[in-house]
Amino acid sequence: MAASVVDTYADPNMSWMNAPHSTGTSIMACEFDGGVVIGADSRTTTGAYIANRVTDKLTRITDHIYCCRSGSAADTQAIADIVTYHLNFHRMELGEPPLVQTAAAIFRELCYNYRDSLVAGILVAGWDKKKGGQIYSVPIGGMVQRQAVSIGGSGSSYVYGYVDANFKPNMSKEEAKKFVTNTLTLAMLRDGSSGGVVRLGVITETGVERLVILGDQLPKFYEG
Amino acid sequence: MASILVPEIPAPGFSFENCQRNAFLEQKGFPAPKATKTGTTIVGIIYADGVILGADTRATENTVVSDKNCQKIHYLAGNMYCCGAGTAADTEMTTQTVASQLELQRLHTGRTVPVATAATLLKRMLFRYQGHIGAALVLGGVDRTGPHIYCIYPHGSVDKLPYATMGSGSLAAMAVFEARWKPDMNEEEGKKLVRDAIAAGIFNDLGSGSNVDLCVIRTTGPAQYLRTYEEANIKGKKQGSYRYPLGTTAVLKQRIIPLEVESVTVRPVQPMEVEASVSS
Amino acid sequence: MSILAYNGGAVVAMKGKDCVAIATDKRYGIQAQTISANFPKVFQMGPTLYVGLPGLATDTQTVYQRLKFRMNLYELKENRIMRPNTFSAMLSNLLYERRFGPYFIEPVVAGLDPIDNKPYVCNMDLIGCPNEPEDFVVSGTCTDQLYGMCEALWEPNLSPDELFETISQALVNAADRDAISGWGAVVYIIEKDKITEKHVKTRMD
Repeated sequence: MAASVVDTYADPNMSWMNAPHSTGTSIMACEFDGGVVIGADSRTTTGAYIANRVTDKLTRITDHIYCCRSGSAADTQAIADIVTYHLNFHRMELGEPPLVQTAAAIFRELCYNYRDSLVAGILVAGWDKKKGGQIYSVPIGGMVQRQAVSIGGSGSSYVYGYVDANFKPNMSKEEAKKFVTNTLTLAMLRDGSSGGVVRLGVITETGVERLVILGDQLPKFYEG
Repeated sequence: MASILVPEIPAPGFSFENCQRNAFLEQKGFPAPKATKTGTTIVGIIYADGVILGADTRATENTVVSDKNCQKIHYLAGNMYCCGAGTAADTEMTTQTVASQLELQRLHTGRTVPVATAATLLKRMLFRYQGHIGAALVLGGVDRTGPHIYCIYPHGSVDKLPYATMGSGSLAAMAVFEARWKPDMNEEEGKKLVRDAIAAGIFNDLGSGSNVDLCVIRTTGPAQYLRTYEEANIKGKKQGSYRYPLGTTAVLKQRIIPLEVESVTVRPVQPMEVEASVSS
Repeated sequence: MSILAYNGGAVVAMKGKDCVAIATDKRYGIQAQTISANFPKVFQMGPTLYVGLPGLATDTQTVYQRLKFRMNLYELKENRIMRPNTFSAMLSNLLYERRFGPYFIEPVVAGLDPIDNKPYVCNMDLIGCPNEPEDFVVSGTCTDQLYGMCEALWEPNLSPDELFETISQALVNAADRDAISGWGAVVYIIEKDKITEKHVKTRMD
């Protein structure tokens, strides 16, 4: 009831304020021999306006666990903050780095319990002693599924075929980096709400290595 | 025990007691009126030794200009200020609430509060209200880790950027930044760039207008609030006067209430000594 | 139709030289039907402090009562009278508390600061966003007309008598072009040693 009153404050002329912030994205995570490579584009949109062209959608949870965020910027940032808090606490009680599986379980718990009010598609990726490099996909609705390679966001629908055709288990680190870069570049080319630069993260036993591939250094593909 | 004659001290936080009535009125064809919106241009940049924030000074209610010279750069702490766009009351109250929390934090820890703390407090508050608090903010400040600019959206998402714009004039202002911003500008260049970005908003966006306000926060010293840095629109001088001669207005009856003029002395409280909120 | 225009009414306040004035019409109606021509919308909150609460009449009275309550508590606790800017902050907080279910009034505050005798005027939207300009503030159902009148008539440093003529003519002529404002008007001229209350003759239609 109250909401109907409040909603009348929404000014239709101010779509920049009411349009959900960031929905279009291309994100990816890929296992390789010794760890995982994660990647994302860098575009944040508010309607048709690019609110941020250098966004970092690869968010640190622990030293060895990162997440790739897609969906509402506000929701995914808030979830990532909460999971980070829980895992920091968990780490102190455990006395050793938390498992990727644990991180994925907390993401799933939040995404499932608040499924009616969240718009969040998250890839949880990282490395732990028990199972090495792992990727867990937590799509809208709050399911969790381990995958060897996973893509997400609006741009992903254009590149499922490419991923299926080109993924090989136990790639080398360089092969995996190339594969992720190519996939994201292709997704960014076709998807209007993805673009900018490609941000990469390589997570191995030693921690994370962050890379940026600028627009003029992206691989070239057929542009008809 | 509260009774009708002895009202209870109300609970803190928002009150929803009028909501049912107002929903009923709306259903009867009396929708709630619009609150003041600031169709706005607000910006912030990082330059060589700090940050510069800028804002226009127009507030509107639909098409009526309700305030020709309002302040959109709000004080948060000695080392940080925050520009607000969106629902005017929301930006005002949100920044005031957070400013008070930051001051308590400073007194509690005895240290300059980092800018990230302010960003976190703001985004948590806005996320909790799921966008119903319509505040779009550009937060700028300096701390021991250097200068920072944050963009905070009404739904509670945050972007950390070297230069940012918000409000209905954000497109015009961003066009100026994208063309001319570069790292490590000096103060003169920085102020000129921010002025030009706000001027772009003032002249190209109908929701923005009047004057340019600036706020320079240097890593080396106290913040400098440049209220009305430039009067972008000067009203034409009145050439005549419409003054009515005394006695024009017909008065039916009149009553004069004399006042006893008394002096009031207020003893000021000495502030306690802690590290100033300006980063040293 | 806006609920703010259900009962009708207009309030305006202006700064002068060492004085300030607040004026209101006297009508109370239910849409087009006039019920009373003696309905107070401006209230004295301190020796040199007045507040106007035009809007939905039920909220005019409720907000006045709540303000008076909070103000009494302040004065008992502090043993001093409230300054106009403090009063505005209190009113602003009272309104913002109801951010998601507001009172339908748009208040006007006018007063002389008891410490330094500086004139003070302020108005707010219905959720308490304060606006403190250097010249005048308007509120009610004929704000468009009032803005026009005030922008043309007001000039700096008006004496109390000149201020009276200016504010009266602004209100009377604005309300004449509003069907749900008028039916008499009251003007309060606030100076540091006296308050002058003048009832102005207006059209009664």
